[in-house]
Amino acid sequence: MTTATPLWEFVDITKAYPGVLANDKVCIKLLPGSIHGLLGENGCGKSTMIKTLSGVQQPDSGQILYNGQQVTISDPQVARDLGIATVFQEFSIVPTLSVGENIFLGNMPRSRFGVIDWGRVQDEAARVLAEMDVDISPDAITGTLSVGEQQLVEIAKAIAIDARMIILDEPTAALGEDEIERLHQLLRKMRSRGTAILYVSHRLDEVERIVDEVTILRGGRVVRASGETEINVSEIVSAMVGEDIGEHYPKEQNATPDVVLEAQGLSTNSGVSDVSLMLHKGEVLGLGGVLGSGRTEIARALFGTDELSSGQIILSGKPVRFRSEIDAIRAGLALVPENRKYDGLFFNFRASGNITASSLGSLSRYGVLNLRAEEQATRELIEDLEISTQAEEKTVNFLSGGNQQKIVIARWLFSDSDILILDEPTQGIDIGAKIAVYKLINKLTRAGKSIILISSDHDELLAMSDRISIVQHGTIVRTVAASNLTHDDLVRASADVPQRNIEEVFA
Amino acid sequence: MKRIFDTQLIGPFAAMVIAALIVAMTTDRFLNPGNLSNLSLQVSIVALIAIGSTIVIFAAGIDLSSGSMVALLTMILAQMLKFADMPLMLALPLILVVGGLLGLFLGLITAYGRIPSFITTLAALIAFRGLALTFNNGSPIFSLDPALEPIFYGKLFGVPLPFFYLVFFYALAAFMMNYTKLGREIYAVGGNPAAAVLTGINVRKVQTTTFVIAGFMTALGAVLMSARLNSGSPNYGQTLELQAIAAAVVGGASLAGGRGNILATLMGAMTIVIVQNGLNLNAAPSSVQNIVLGLIILLAVGIDMWRAEISALMGRLLGRSPMKPSSKEKRDA
Repeated sequence: MTTATPLWEFVDITKAYPGVLANDKVCIKLLPGSIHGLLGENGCGKSTMIKTLSGVQQPDSGQILYNGQQVTISDPQVARDLGIATVFQEFSIVPTLSVGENIFLGNMPRSRFGVIDWGRVQDEAARVLAEMDVDISPDAITGTLSVGEQQLVEIAKAIAIDARMIILDEPTAALGEDEIERLHQLLRKMRSRGTAILYVSHRLDEVERIVDEVTILRGGRVVRASGETEINVSEIVSAMVGEDIGEHYPKEQNATPDVVLEAQGLSTNSGVSDVSLMLHKGEVLGLGGVLGSGRTEIARALFGTDELSSGQIILSGKPVRFRSEIDAIRAGLALVPENRKYDGLFFNFRASGNITASSLGSLSRYGVLNLRAEEQATRELIEDLEISTQAEEKTVNFLSGGNQQKIVIARWLFSDSDILILDEPTQGIDIGAKIAVYKLINKLTRAGKSIILISSDHDELLAMSDRISIVQHGTIVRTVAASNLTHDDLVRASADVPQRNIEEVFA
Repeated sequence: MKRIFDTQLIGPFAAMVIAALIVAMTTDRFLNPGNLSNLSLQVSIVALIAIGSTIVIFAAGIDLSSGSMVALLTMILAQMLKFADMPLMLALPLILVVGGLLGLFLGLITAYGRIPSFITTLAALIAFRGLALTFNNGSPIFSLDPALEPIFYGKLFGVPLPFFYLVFFYALAAFMMNYTKLGREIYAVGGNPAAAVLTGINVRKVQTTTFVIAGFMTALGAVLMSARLNSGSPNYGQTLELQAIAAAVVGGASLAGGRGNILATLMGAMTIVIVQNGLNLNAAPSSVQNIVLGLIILLAVGIDMWRAEISALMGRLLGRSPMKPSSKEKRDA
C-alpha cells in the first residue's frame, strides 16, 4: 500500500498560535483507498491540522501537494472544489431543513432560471442515500432523525460533492454500537472506491477495527508516522501519552454489601418501564445498552428530573420521593450529565464557581458566601485532581475537555454526595484524562461513595463496573457481575440478540 | 467568581473618562460644580432603575416594563397622597412594596408560566402605561406634597441626596452580586440554566427574585421622579427602560446573561448622561442626542465584540504580533 502514489501529501505543515506551536512540521500522506487514523491527546494539534486541511485556516509554512502538484487551500470553498469534505465534530446541518436540502446546502442545483431545481434536489439526494445504502427519506426533517442518522446525512453531503478525500473528526462520539457499525461499513465501501479517508477518533477500539494507517501527534509533532506503527492499541496509547501508562483501567474493588439505593419498579412517561435496581456502598453499577435504550432516562428518573408514574426509590432503607433535582441533591445524589458543555458547566465561571455551585448553602452564612473558604477548597481540589492551574484564574471555557470533566466531577466531590450518576463521563476526552477520571472513580468508591456509570465504551464499562445492568427499551433486562461478561457479550446483550448463557447475579 | 473591582470595569471606566474629557474640552461649563451636581441628579433615576434591569439581564432575562411602571407608580403615589390623603411616611414604603409586587407578578409569569421575559415585560410595557391612564381620567396630578421635593432636591454636606442613594444602592447591589449566595445563583442561572437545574439551584425562584428586585428599584425611580416634579403623570418614564438597558449594555453586561459587573452599569449610565449633558451644554437639538445615544450603544457593544480584531489591528499598526484574542465566544479547540 505504501507504494501507491499519495493522493494528498502534506509536507512540514507548521502553524503557530500566540504562545503555542500547534503544528510543528507535520507530514501526512493520504493514499487513495485508505483509511488513515490521526490520533493524539487533546491539544496535540489534531484540530489545528484538520482546520488547515479543510481550508479554515492557513499554515504558517509547509507545502500541500495534490496528486504531486502544489496547491493552496485558501478557504473552505477551495477545499470543496479540490474534493475535500470535512465532517466536523459539531454538525453543520440545519435541523429545521429536510435531508435533501441539507445535502445540497450551499450547492443547490439550479434550473435555467436560477431557481432551485427541487426535482433534482430530490432525485440526487435519493441517489446519494441509495448509494450509501441508507434508508432515510430526502424529505425527512433532519432534526427529527437520530444523531446517528444525522451523522450519515453529514457524510451524504460529502458524497454529493464527489469528495475524493473525507475528513471525519470524532465521527462516532455520539453514535450507538450498531450505528458505528453502519458508519464503518459505509467507510469501507468508500475506501473500496478509492476515497482517501482521514479518521480522527478517541475511541481506540474503533481505530483498531477500521484504520489502515496511523499518524500520531504529540505536542504538535508527529511522534509516529504512517507505516511505522502497528495498529496495536497499547502501543498507540503509549505513543500518544509519551510514556508507558501501565494499567489502562486501574479498577479497584471497593464494593461492600450495604445497600444505599434501591429502585423498585420505576416507570416514567419518558420511557422508563418497571426498572428495579440495587446499588451498594462503594460499588460501581454499570448501565449498558445501546444509545436510546433508556439509560439516560433511568438516570433522570432516579434524579427527580422526570416524574415517576409508578415505583419507589429507597435510600438507605427509607422510602423517598423526589419532586425535583433539588430534593435528590439534598438527599445526597448527584448527576454528571452526558453533555457537559450544555448541561454541566458554567462557562462564565472559573473553576471555583463551577465547583461550589451545588454547595452554596453550606458555603454561606445568612446568605453571605465565604469566598476565602471557596478559593481554598478550589485550590485543594485543583491540586488533588491534577486540574490545570489555569482553572484558578480563567473561566472554564479556556480549559480542555478533560479538565472540564474533572471540574464537573469535583463539584460533587466538594458537595460530598453519596451517590453519583456519571453519564458518559469520558466522552470526547483524551486517554490521559480518561485514566484520571477512572482514578477519580476509585477515589470516590474508596471513600464509600457509590456510582452508577453509564457508558457506551464497552471496554470501559466492563473494566470499571462491579456489576452491569443491561438496559433495553427502558428497562433492565438483566444484571450481571462485570467479571462474568466479555466485550462480545455486552455488545450482543445490548443489541438484543440471542445470548450465550450467562449466570445472572441478584445481589 | 469575580471581585467587585476587576478588569471588566476598565473598559466602561475608560469610556466614561474619555466621554468626560471630550465634553470638558468642548465647553468649560461642564466642570462647573453646579453642572456636576446637576449630573448626579440627572443620572440618578435611570441609574437606580438600571440596577434592576442589569440584575435581570445577569439572569439572562430582560425587563422592558420599567418605564411604564414608573408612570403607573407615580400615578398610584399621586393618588395616595393627593386624593387618599395618605401621610408621606406611609405612602413611600407602600409604593416600594407595590413596585416589588408588580415585579413579583412579572417574575412569576415569566419563570413559572414559562413565557419569555421579553414577551412578559413587553406586554407590561404596554399594559402598565394603559393602567396609568385609568387614574384621574388620564390627567397628571400636580402639587402632591411639599415634603416630597426634598427627597430629590435635598442636600447633605452640600452634596445632592440622589448621589447618596446611588452610592448606597450600588454598594448594596455590588455586595449582593459578588458576596452572596443569591448573587452567585443569579450569575449561574444566567450562565447556564440547564446546568443550574442539575446543580440544585432553584432556577425559577432565582429568576422571579430578579424581577422583584427590578420592580423595587423601579419604584425607587418612580419616587424620585415624583419628587423631582412633585407630581404624577401617565406620561412619565417614556423610553426609560431602554435607557436603563443601554446603561447595562454600555457597561458591558452580556444580554445572553451570566456576565457583567453591576458597577459597570453605573459607569455606563454616567457615560450616557455625560454625553447628553455635553450635547445640552453645546445646545444640540434632542434629535442629535438620540442619534448619538444610538451610536454609543453600537460602539460599546462593537468594541466588546471586535476585541480580537481591534487588538490584531493595533498590533499590526504598532508592528507587534497580535495579542491573544480574548473574545467571550472563544472556546478551546
